[in-house]
Amino acid sequence: MSPAGCSHVNGYKVDNWKQNLRVIYQCFVWSGTAETRRRKVLQSDAGWTELAKSCICHMCGAHLNRLHSCLYCVFFGCFTKKHIHEHAKNKRHNLAIDLLYGGIYCFVCQDYIYDKDMEQIAKEEQRKAWKLQGIGEKYTTWEPTKRELELLRHNPKRRKITTNCTIGLRGLINLGNTCFMNCIVQALTHTPLLRDFFLSDRHKCEMQSNSCLVCEMSQLFQEFYSGHRSPHIPFRLLHLVWTHARHLAGYEQQDAHEFLIAALDVLHRHCKGDTIRDDNGKKTNNPNHCNCIIDQIFTGGLQSDVTCQVCHGVSTTIDPFWDISLDLPGSSTPFWPLSPGGDGSTVNGESHLSGSTTLTDCLRRFTRPEHLGSSAKIKCGGCHSYQESTKQLTMKKLPIVACFHLKRFEHSAKLRRKITTYVSFPLELDMTPFMASSKESRMNGQYQQSVEVLNNDNKYSLFAVVNHQGTLESGHYTSFIRQHKDQWFKCDDAIITKASIKDVLDSEGYLLFYHKQFLEYE
Amino acid sequence: MSKDYQLRAAINQKLIEMGERERLKELLRAKLVECGWKDQLKAHCKDVIREKGLDHVTVEDLVTEVTPKGRALVPDSVKKELLQRIRAFLVQHAAM
Repeated sequence: MSPAGCSHVNGYKVDNWKQNLRVIYQCFVWSGTAETRRRKVLQSDAGWTELAKSCICHMCGAHLNRLHSCLYCVFFGCFTKKHIHEHAKNKRHNLAIDLLYGGIYCFVCQDYIYDKDMEQIAKEEQRKAWKLQGIGEKYTTWEPTKRELELLRHNPKRRKITTNCTIGLRGLINLGNTCFMNCIVQALTHTPLLRDFFLSDRHKCEMQSNSCLVCEMSQLFQEFYSGHRSPHIPFRLLHLVWTHARHLAGYEQQDAHEFLIAALDVLHRHCKGDTIRDDNGKKTNNPNHCNCIIDQIFTGGLQSDVTCQVCHGVSTTIDPFWDISLDLPGSSTPFWPLSPGGDGSTVNGESHLSGSTTLTDCLRRFTRPEHLGSSAKIKCGGCHSYQESTKQLTMKKLPIVACFHLKRFEHSAKLRRKITTYVSFPLELDMTPFMASSKESRMNGQYQQSVEVLNNDNKYSLFAVVNHQGTLESGHYTSFIRQHKDQWFKCDDAIITKASIKDVLDSEGYLLFYHKQFLEYE
Repeated sequence: MSKDYQLRAAINQKLIEMGERERLKELLRAKLVECGWKDQLKAHCKDVIREKGLDHVTVEDLVTEVTPKGRALVPDSVKKELLQRIRAFLVQHAAM
């Protein structure tokens, strides 16, 4: 199999060959619907018109058997029964195209050949057909450009990722109660999409000063994936965080969750250079519809439905979120004693060890309808007066990375304490029961279990856990992160140790990071 | 041409016309990737290429070697699901 073409195509590449080839791809190979096919055919050579309707072998009438079309004349023949071979020999038409996959067969070379120009046409026509069919972009394997080949040749050092290689794992020195920052850094450097973004140099900095946090993150990723095993000292990162998030400055222990939100906020603000430009080269970034990498990965939409108890009119708002903060049993907010099992936990296969709370219990509580009470009446647009209402939260749009914050630190007027209730969380999470769409179908009386299970879009996998040990006054943060598909490591500042899945799932859990299992192109 | 064959051709024609064939192909593609079939066959192809030598192997060689294994490795659940889809389609568009 030669990666280049063969010389026998030269006889074909004359006159209007490109257009003819395009027609063949459009009509017979990548044809969308019968309608588009008929339409395309009518625009072209009348000779093709009659035969467009029936793609069958001219000798035996078969429609399977690897049907091929001759490139020189209007002839379809099956490959398996060698009918196309006979035609090629009799007429000396030595090129044919496989109608199933679009490959070009040369009867002289007796193999499929890959001519650059023809491949180009094939790819373009396939993209067009996908667009017509509404499939949009599809995954195609990477092929290096000339420039990339050059770069690869000039930089011959390669790093091979084997199953037990520890690339990407690095300890972080504690600079004085900075374990809260170290844990978040570990979680972020092991977020696959974020890693890919930074390692492929996608950040174009537009900040004049040296204080861009995104640039520093980029540096951090370089450090983590450099292969160095000694712990990294993140003093520059710490300094930048103090500069941009004053409330976190100082050597006191801070809240890891607060740090996460502050860090995402600063990164989001500093990502201005990476905004998408429209066709005129104008920036399409507007603060409400940012398309930076942070928004693409972390931003979800939370739907809030307020239902008037009198006229049952619903007022809906959707707010963006980077994390979901969940109340725990034992807090001063009422935690309904939900019965174990029921919808949600069966989907997520969590075990209910006598009375222990699960993550899905917390999510069910989060998305339950809440009666707002007579002291919190809302102005109803339908009734034109203040009425009692119920409010319900559901997920409108799920982010690619979902971060769950278990509210273990209580800072009410009366008391400050840490809630150490064990909450079990699963390795795999299905968010379907908590979606706005699921709620709608439940309200319409449809319990479409089967369809939802097929929908892979709401399935998540755990990839990082941040834990807090100790009390509110003095405590220590550590994290578990996932490497490769099923290896977990415990990150305790500078010390990285191998951990078992059991260690992870048995831990208390403070911040839980889940990643979507299946990603689609936009 | 046997009646069975005619029937298959007619069904195929209808599937193409209604765009269902493309959808079924996509469904099948997704299922075969999901269950690991694609990876299994890819590994088998690599073995065949290694055996025959990269400069001498042809697409025909691969097709001959890989087709029987490919057919055998398709999980029953996938076959069942596609059959169901085709049946459902025929029930909907039965003009034959």
